Amino acid sequence: MEDTPAVQINHLVKEFPSPFRKTKVKAVDDVSLTIMPGEVYGLIGPNGSGKSTSMKALLGLLAPTAGSCHVFGKNSMKTDSRQEIGFLPENPYFYKHMSGEETLRFYAKLCGMRGKEVNKRVDEMLEMVTLQDARKRRIGGYSKGMLQRIGLAQALIHDPRLLILDEPTAGVDPVGSRQIRDLIVNLKERGVTVFLCSHLLEQVQEVCDHVGIIFKGKLVKEGRLEDLIAIEDQTEVIIRNASSRTLARIRAVIADAENAEFVHMGKPRTTLERLFLDEAKKSAASDEASQETTNDIVNDTMNKEGDHDA
Amino acid sequence: MRRNGFFSPVRILVIASHTFTQLVRMKVFYFLAVFAVLMLAASFFEMPWSRTTEDSAEQELIILKSTAMGAMSMFSILFAIAATALLIPKDLEDRTLYTILSKPVPRLDYLLGKLVGVLILVAVSLLLMDALLAVILHIRTEDLIGSELLKAQQQGWPKEYTDSRIASITQQGVTWDLQAGVGAIFFKAMIMASIALLISTFSSSTLFTIVIAVVIYFIGHFTADARSYWLHSQKDGVSTEVKFLTQGVALIFPDFQLYNIIDATIEGKPVKQGLFMRLATLTLFYSGIYSVLAWFTFRKKEF
Repeated sequence: MEDTPAVQINHLVKEFPSPFRKTKVKAVDDVSLTIMPGEVYGLIGPNGSGKSTSMKALLGLLAPTAGSCHVFGKNSMKTDSRQEIGFLPENPYFYKHMSGEETLRFYAKLCGMRGKEVNKRVDEMLEMVTLQDARKRRIGGYSKGMLQRIGLAQALIHDPRLLILDEPTAGVDPVGSRQIRDLIVNLKERGVTVFLCSHLLEQVQEVCDHVGIIFKGKLVKEGRLEDLIAIEDQTEVIIRNASSRTLARIRAVIADAENAEFVHMGKPRTTLERLFLDEAKKSAASDEASQETTNDIVNDTMNKEGDHDA
Repeated sequence: MRRNGFFSPVRILVIASHTFTQLVRMKVFYFLAVFAVLMLAASFFEMPWSRTTEDSAEQELIILKSTAMGAMSMFSILFAIAATALLIPKDLEDRTLYTILSKPVPRLDYLLGKLVGVLILVAVSLLLMDALLAVILHIRTEDLIGSELLKAQQQGWPKEYTDSRIASITQQGVTWDLQAGVGAIFFKAMIMASIALLISTFSSSTLFTIVIAVVIYFIGHFTADARSYWLHSQKDGVSTEVKFLTQGVALIFPDFQLYNIIDATIEGKPVKQGLFMRLATLTLFYSGIYSVLAWFTFRKKEF
């Protein structure tokens, strides 16, 4: 494995001048983190905790007040460091006058690609995000999920080694959200380093192998996800088709054991999301037209839920 | 891995052609219909004292040219200021700027790309208007020469006098000098686009950029008069510092009186090639200064 970290943030501090006050507002306060190549790192925290500011500093959109950011060993304030980065901002809007294909072409050319290389890469990306059918349509007519996917395609157009995602599934319906998560998992398998920030904790838990928790500009906890969420002194056993007699015997065994304590027994539950996805898949198989309606209903529901979350 | 230089002409062209497409798809070329109607209306205009004075034919052509060049000047300046003032704030508002600047794109490339894109739009629209003017002016000139020849025949003018009349009318038709005037209109638009670019790098609203750019445009038209009046009114002469100061003011506010060759070409006066080249150099100099200043403020800008 490569030794140079994909991302290295050293004691990053970012202050913003505050109007009407002499003191400055510290958006990021002495944050240090390292992401090795191939890792999927999730930075989680509430709104306004400094996630986006840290990302912008890493992209050279903001200059650090103190500390430094490096991408594969290159200072993030240098243009060259961006050759390795693909970035998808939160709720991205692209030029509405262009089609999906034109958008990808534009970004490919910005990255220095020319001629056949552009055509090949644009086709590959459209296929990857399953937008081949909408390639000639103007971006202005794209749904939120499609915008997010074309955003992901433009972020990956120049085959970067590091992908930075700011709230990649915010406002996207569960089906679209699942597609984006599948893409992230797929990229992880291909060795792309992913740095994502989100406040949708369940999704972070599903894809990330490293997590950092940021609160009021400070990194309060960081490490491997498994280490952070495992309850060391407890063990989970899942049994299929156990009779009530078997369960009673298990309880008795635990009661007899020294130091062991019975904590909980019950039926594991599927998530509402999984239930929804199964139902959506069934409807899609039976009738394509009915899927459209389902998506609309779910979109509305999710938007309302999103509002509640916010 | 690709190396990214300080700036890349190819990348600037990519951004420029994208900006041009963006503006074209905003349907800006609809204004050409307005221009065409204006031109047709002006070409049907006849002097009320028609045929009473000797040079009424030339006057008709001058009015036609004056209307056309006035409209060309107005449209090109308007495009140059409004389009440039609109583009960067729009990119920032839509967050498309993030996706561009997070690619290996130096900020200078982005700024120059936007500027060149607007200038291509101004150049293409000026060329279209120029072509329309040339066609109508040519038809009108031929028409007036025809009626002048008929008059000469009827009144038995001497050949020399007829020839001088024809030459005088032709001089008011489609000439290279007139094209130099169109070139000067482009130069003015180029300077205004660079000024709008500079203002939009630090202004927070499109309206502010447009208003300030228009104010600078008007100041640019009387800055030379004001300077010479003031310098002459100082009886004891002026110190070197004051001279530097006035020259500094001339740098900030471009002297648009130098571009008065536009009026001269409307009147059919010849333009020396040397003068045109000097104007081109001056335009590049002004545009260069404003673009560098724009880059200085945009280079460290935080988003």
